[in-house]
Amino acid sequence: MTSTAGVTDSAGGAPPAVAEEPAPGGPGETRRGLPRPHLAAYLVPAVVVCAALGVYPIVQMVRMSVSDVGPATLIADWEFLGAENYREVLDSDTFWPAVRATLVFTGVLLVVDLVIGYVAAAVLARPSRLTSAVLSLMVFVWALPPLVSGSVWKFLLAGDGLVNSTLELVGLPAVDWLSDPDLALWSVSLVAAWASLPFAILIIRGGMLAIPTEVLEAASLDGAGPVRQAVSVVIPLLRPTLAVLTILVVLYAFRSFDFVYVMTSGGPGTVTTTLPFLAYQEAFRTYSFGIGAAIASVLMVVIALLAVPYAWGVRKEESA
Amino acid sequence: MRVRRLSKTGALAATACLVLASCGGGSDSDEESSSGPQTLTIWHYYTADGQIAALERQNQLFAESNPDVEFEVVQIPFEQLPTRLLSTATTQDGPDIVLDNVVVDFPALAGSGVLTDLTPYWEEYADADQVSDSSVWRLDDEVYNVMSYTNLLGLYYNADILDELGIEPPETVDEFQAALEQVADDGQYTPLTMSGAPTVEGAWMYFPLLLGEGVDYCNLDDATLEDALSRLQSWSEDGILPREAANWDQTDAWTQFASGDAAFGINGNWNLGAAADLPFELGSTQYPAGSDGSRVFPGGEGLGIGAFADDPDLAWQYIEDAWLSPEAGLINFEDSGQIPTRADVASQPEVADDELVAPFVEAASNTASWPLNEETAQMQTVIGQVGSSVISGESDAAEAAERGVTGVEDAKEEGGGGCA
Repeated sequence: MTSTAGVTDSAGGAPPAVAEEPAPGGPGETRRGLPRPHLAAYLVPAVVVCAALGVYPIVQMVRMSVSDVGPATLIADWEFLGAENYREVLDSDTFWPAVRATLVFTGVLLVVDLVIGYVAAAVLARPSRLTSAVLSLMVFVWALPPLVSGSVWKFLLAGDGLVNSTLELVGLPAVDWLSDPDLALWSVSLVAAWASLPFAILIIRGGMLAIPTEVLEAASLDGAGPVRQAVSVVIPLLRPTLAVLTILVVLYAFRSFDFVYVMTSGGPGTVTTTLPFLAYQEAFRTYSFGIGAAIASVLMVVIALLAVPYAWGVRKEESA
Repeated sequence: MRVRRLSKTGALAATACLVLASCGGGSDSDEESSSGPQTLTIWHYYTADGQIAALERQNQLFAESNPDVEFEVVQIPFEQLPTRLLSTATTQDGPDIVLDNVVVDFPALAGSGVLTDLTPYWEEYADADQVSDSSVWRLDDEVYNVMSYTNLLGLYYNADILDELGIEPPETVDEFQAALEQVADDGQYTPLTMSGAPTVEGAWMYFPLLLGEGVDYCNLDDATLEDALSRLQSWSEDGILPREAANWDQTDAWTQFASGDAAFGINGNWNLGAAADLPFELGSTQYPAGSDGSRVFPGGEGLGIGAFADDPDLAWQYIEDAWLSPEAGLINFEDSGQIPTRADVASQPEVADDELVAPFVEAASNTASWPLNEETAQMQTVIGQVGSSVISGESDAAEAAERGVTGVEDAKEEGGGGCA
């Protein structure tokens, strides 16, 4: 961390005192001896790649969102439409239900990842063989491609799937998890939350393990029970971690499309059509590239707004 | 101008990358010497074993008379193929042959310049009179896609269940309704499986209820759509069609039918390749007829030549020999169960005398016309969405019909207003 900060600061024109810190494990004279322009040159490939694969397509997407772009005009000159695509998106019957679906999706992810994630992390913070096994399993779940885990859950939640078979075994009626319009969005959201939960647990657990044991022991000596410790000590100390995690979960939710695609195709009807899925549908199923780009641009603005506090939070944590 | 072109290039590359399309798989003529073997690059989205087996055998057929030709067969996910094809306009490097979802994507692909105009080839083709005109796809009188086979919907039935319940295979919608109710009343079996997904697939499945009343996308009206949706709604509410069909695609629906617990299944002839493996006696008949008869939309893949094919003449030769020839048509039928569009092949005993195939062959002679509008995908998607919404109970038929007609009209207008 120190080494990285030192290199970055040197390249970015930070005070000499920071730039001249020797890197841990290294003699330090290499950086001290290199002129700044030379160090900046090392950044060129990364900047070029970022610009080519990140910034440039985004600029083009925004251009597309203010232009008339369909299959026939994709390779022709794009007619400038101004805000027409955005107006059409905002006036459409599908946009606001998709916003609502996205917010529900996000809410479910936040509640599951933060609440269950916290409880599970607290349990898994105690070292044991079982903890190691559970952590390994969680990493496996987290590493599963959404297309795979989504397909598995689609079968599990089918009318004659394992979940309903189990319910019937204990005398409960089968449930249309993915085709009941009142349930489908919750089902897909919960599956997405299940997939992202390991990440949340690992992050929170990491934060918990970083809390000095002396602090917890002192709280214990002062008579604080587990709940009191959690409320008055652990959560306040975890606040920066939880804030960053919250932003990451929201970012994940706002770009989460895979589970909807695999499990329901946005249905039944349009019940599970979230904003990312709607953008995909407009652009790649009906070839309204301008409209799809407008929806994606709206999403991008939301994500960008969240990325700022995220970056700020990370920077703050690093400097703490 | 150069800057503008470059910026378009980047945009199209970004569009392609958005669907995680890889950048390989195009023609690789640059790597070939002029005297070396030629490579034909074929793009398709087949996933059914029978279709893939047929493709391999048809390639072998071509290779027998063209030993210096090699094949690079690229399987692309169904929904990514049109986008990747559209992006070839930027890369200037695409497939020699493409098998595209012609019934949905034709206006978009043909209008965007990524397909070669096949008109000169078609005009010279000696057996053109054997292929029905509905299998030749034109835009502004220029041919861009040709279908060597077609896929049609029909009504499959479990003959064991029908025998047990004393039900005759229905021919009309009214007979079908009565049969479904009888199965539902019996309570042992699922009466019907069909796709009700909120997609073009779902739309394809129930739209024949409207076609049977003489209504298609070009003359769609509230009342007829509402009637069809009311029927779907009642099927769902009365336990005839499982509510989860609201999310089923065609494969899901066939899997349910193939389990042996369903009496009827609306699905396509491409499943015939797997008919021998079913644990019950399979029967088939035409899609139940309405007051205007039984009509379905033709499905299947269109054969096209990429606009950036290295050797369009060789590509056309491949289409002629490996797809349009009688021998190729029979190979394709044997392996995949898809119906040949050549009249002389469809009348061969192997095809015409097959009882399971006969209803589909008959249906092929009286198909409906797809809307020829740039926004046809949007039109079909809206119809799929409202069908899914009534099956699930999200909407009632009247509200869904209004939404469906408005959506189709809006899309039609957005696509320039043309239809037929």
